[in-house]
Amino acid sequence: MKIVKLSLISLFTISLVACKKDTKTTDSSKDSLTAKKDSVVIPEIHKEYYGIYTGEFAGKGMITSEDGEEYEGDIYKKIALKINRITKDSVYGQSIVEGNQRSFRGIFNEGSSSFVLDEPGNDNTDGRFEVKLKSDSMTGKWTAFNKSAVKAPSKTLKLIKKEFVYNPNFMLDKNSDLIDWENPKDFVEKYTDEETGKTETYTSSKNRVASEAVFKINASTQKLTEKEIKNLRKLDMEIIKNAVFARHGYAFKKQTYRNFFEQTDWYIPVSDNVDNELSAVEKDNVALLNRFIKYAEDKYDQFGR
Amino acid sequence: MTPIKKNISNSLKTLLIIGFGYFFWLMLKITLEYIPLNTNVSFLMIKQTEVTERPEYLYFFYTHVYTSIFVLFTGFLAILRKDFGLKSFHKNAGKIYIFLILLFAAPSGIYMGIFANGGFLSKISFVILGCLWWFSTYKAFNLAQQKKFKEHKQWMWRSFALTFSAITLRIWKVIIVYLFHPNPMDVYQIIAWLGWIPNLLLIEYLISKKHL
Repeated sequence: MKIVKLSLISLFTISLVACKKDTKTTDSSKDSLTAKKDSVVIPEIHKEYYGIYTGEFAGKGMITSEDGEEYEGDIYKKIALKINRITKDSVYGQSIVEGNQRSFRGIFNEGSSSFVLDEPGNDNTDGRFEVKLKSDSMTGKWTAFNKSAVKAPSKTLKLIKKEFVYNPNFMLDKNSDLIDWENPKDFVEKYTDEETGKTETYTSSKNRVASEAVFKINASTQKLTEKEIKNLRKLDMEIIKNAVFARHGYAFKKQTYRNFFEQTDWYIPVSDNVDNELSAVEKDNVALLNRFIKYAEDKYDQFGR
Repeated sequence: MTPIKKNISNSLKTLLIIGFGYFFWLMLKITLEYIPLNTNVSFLMIKQTEVTERPEYLYFFYTHVYTSIFVLFTGFLAILRKDFGLKSFHKNAGKIYIFLILLFAAPSGIYMGIFANGGFLSKISFVILGCLWWFSTYKAFNLAQQKKFKEHKQWMWRSFALTFSAITLRIWKVIIVYLFHPNPMDVYQIIAWLGWIPNLLLIEYLISKKHL
């Protein structure tokens, strides 16, 4: 210890005699020495496992069919696990299912290269992951802490490591299903029997369909004008707007948007808040689209302009 | 007129008055959306290009919105052709109606027509509408001054038919959107014409059949 101190003092003295530039370098070397000495930073291990693992989250549970009947069936969901930090005795990260982002903590067993990860437990949907890593894939199971609070208390996971990249040019695939299955509207329709002449009314439900515009208009690459979006329906504008958030890896809470963007191979939900990631153009376009979406909501089918 | 016929025409009149009252109430509510003054509300939400690029746009817009509601009201009062015990009530209501249109509502309407939503097809319709509105009102005014009251009445009906397009255009919009769900600007192009042409045709028909 004394030798270190002595050598430091001697170094310091030399540097005092030397020019300014040298003084600086000596100082910084001294800083790094001290930093190492009283370090509280726990070394991170296995940084190569950090990243996003996405895939299938499946379990058996009760499903309500369209006619209201309940039956046991397979429930498939998409999940993303983010491994942010691995140390000797802790693992930190997040899970995202249906836009619900939960932080987890757990341990990594090097011998079996497996994780045991616990969500906080203050939400009904929290539980424990037990997953095994094998090169780029992660498999295992999840068990809910509160087994009566969820539809499927035990689920299996089949995940693959994916690299999240932001690319403003990403668009919905041209062959995407453009129907919004989540917001059906009921219409009362009349039907006249040609033989009996009786008129009956029945209710049919219709789904919204997006137009081809969602393949053409990109709110991440160009500043949009009122003229360009004026003739669009509300769903088109909602998709064009949310494509911006999808590109930044926003984990959508609404099933509608998950349905649209999960059809692409680029969409990876990585965060439940990407507001700070938006570029200036994107921010402007989102504000513009919000205004037009509001107008469409308030005015489209109303007496007014 | 037979008593039955008179009864029918009276109940028809009452019905028309109630109908007008209802739609006038809706128009009043639309107008009140612009009070207090907010440059980014309602219709102006999709007009920010004009609002920011043309400093005069808002002046014309507010002139149109704030005067037109009185045009609709005084026009309706005048068309009843009753003085309600007040001296020269019809004449005064008519004067307000005429001057508001000639000086404010029609010129500002023509200006807004030039920047109307829905492209060339709706622009041309709104500009023609505005010009006919101004002309028919001016003509009615002139004929009243010349004491040619029969013709004055006919031209006033033409003018009011065009004034009333503010309401019929919005009714058509609700019907067309309900039935066909077209894209917003496609609705705009259709109602731009549907709002006033049938009104005018009806009045011309009634005039030719000597009902007015």
